[in-house]
Amino acid sequence: MNRLFTLLVLWAIGSNALAADYRVERSSTLGFTGTFQGEEFNGSFARFEAQIRYDSSVLDASSFDVTIDLSSVHTGDSDRDEMLPTAEFFDTSTSATAHFKTSRFYKSGNEVIASGTLTLKGVSKPVDLNVTFTPVGAGATLDISTRIKRLDFGIGTGEYADTSTIGNDVQIKAHLKLGPKA
Amino acid sequence: MALKSSDTRWGSIAQWLHWLMALAIIGNGILGLIMVDMSRGMTKLNVFAIHKSIGLTVLALLILRVCWRMLDRKPRDEPMPRWQRLAAHATHAVLYLFMLAIPLSGWTYNSAHGNPLQWFKLFNLPALMERNDAISDLARDTHEVLFWILLLILVAHVGGALVHHVFTRDNTLLRMLPFARLRSRNSGDQS
Repeated sequence: MNRLFTLLVLWAIGSNALAADYRVERSSTLGFTGTFQGEEFNGSFARFEAQIRYDSSVLDASSFDVTIDLSSVHTGDSDRDEMLPTAEFFDTSTSATAHFKTSRFYKSGNEVIASGTLTLKGVSKPVDLNVTFTPVGAGATLDISTRIKRLDFGIGTGEYADTSTIGNDVQIKAHLKLGPKA
Repeated sequence: MALKSSDTRWGSIAQWLHWLMALAIIGNGILGLIMVDMSRGMTKLNVFAIHKSIGLTVLALLILRVCWRMLDRKPRDEPMPRWQRLAAHATHAVLYLFMLAIPLSGWTYNSAHGNPLQWFKLFNLPALMERNDAISDLARDTHEVLFWILLLILVAHVGGALVHHVFTRDNTLLRMLPFARLRSRNSGDQS
């Protein structure tokens, strides 16, 4: 009985210790790919914060909590960069940030899926992320991808809702470089 | 009406290519002048897209037209002084050159500026080059200057045709008009 208790305690400590907290390095990127007039364009957010706790063998103890400063968007086109923060698109004066928080992790075949809720422009919707976690030394790289529909979140209202010019599908990608938390 | 040109008049293929391109070029010129002053928004984006689509169409029609012209025979020049004949042919040569250079300078501007190029929302065409601000500015200015020069050449082209039609009263204009009856001249050559 004592041994069983010790094992349980060790397992409990072990599982928490295994699902490690990581520090997100500055060289990490988070962005998206949209389409305009039939051609893809890439955007990235210069400012975001991500709290990453992850272990592929203890998925239940893993969690992502990401906050994105929407006004830090860059798409390589000054006209577009001026449009995106306006009311028709991100409307940063009303909601300056987007937020994603995981609710559970599960495996689908070989893939790890992080289910959570994305809140963008005041709209909260369930979003599943594909997760690729690669340990590198004491840290790791974490690649995230998912696909959302911009109109689900009211990105591009009025005349900009026309999906024949601005595609509805938007791919979201992040490449995080994780270091051990000090 | 014959598809191919004869000694006295242009065939219907040459005629329709001429008038279709004339309409597209003049329409696109007007669109171009309007669109640059539009306020930012989806309408402006769409009008730009239509301008680019029409420009690409002109370019495609030009290729067809040059190919057809190499296969087709050419009507004889109407009787006219040598300087007029030379001026008319020089004007035509420059018009062909501009019908090539104006769409290509627009395409270059679009590419160097990093914009997509889509033909009437149906398919996309590749960029001619990587993004480059200096070339983008140069190509935009070239595109516009060539357009203003084209207008001057068109004044000569249209003016020449009208002078021949109204004052010389020959078939210079009529032989390019679909459905028009040629005027009979001394030779009595009518078709």
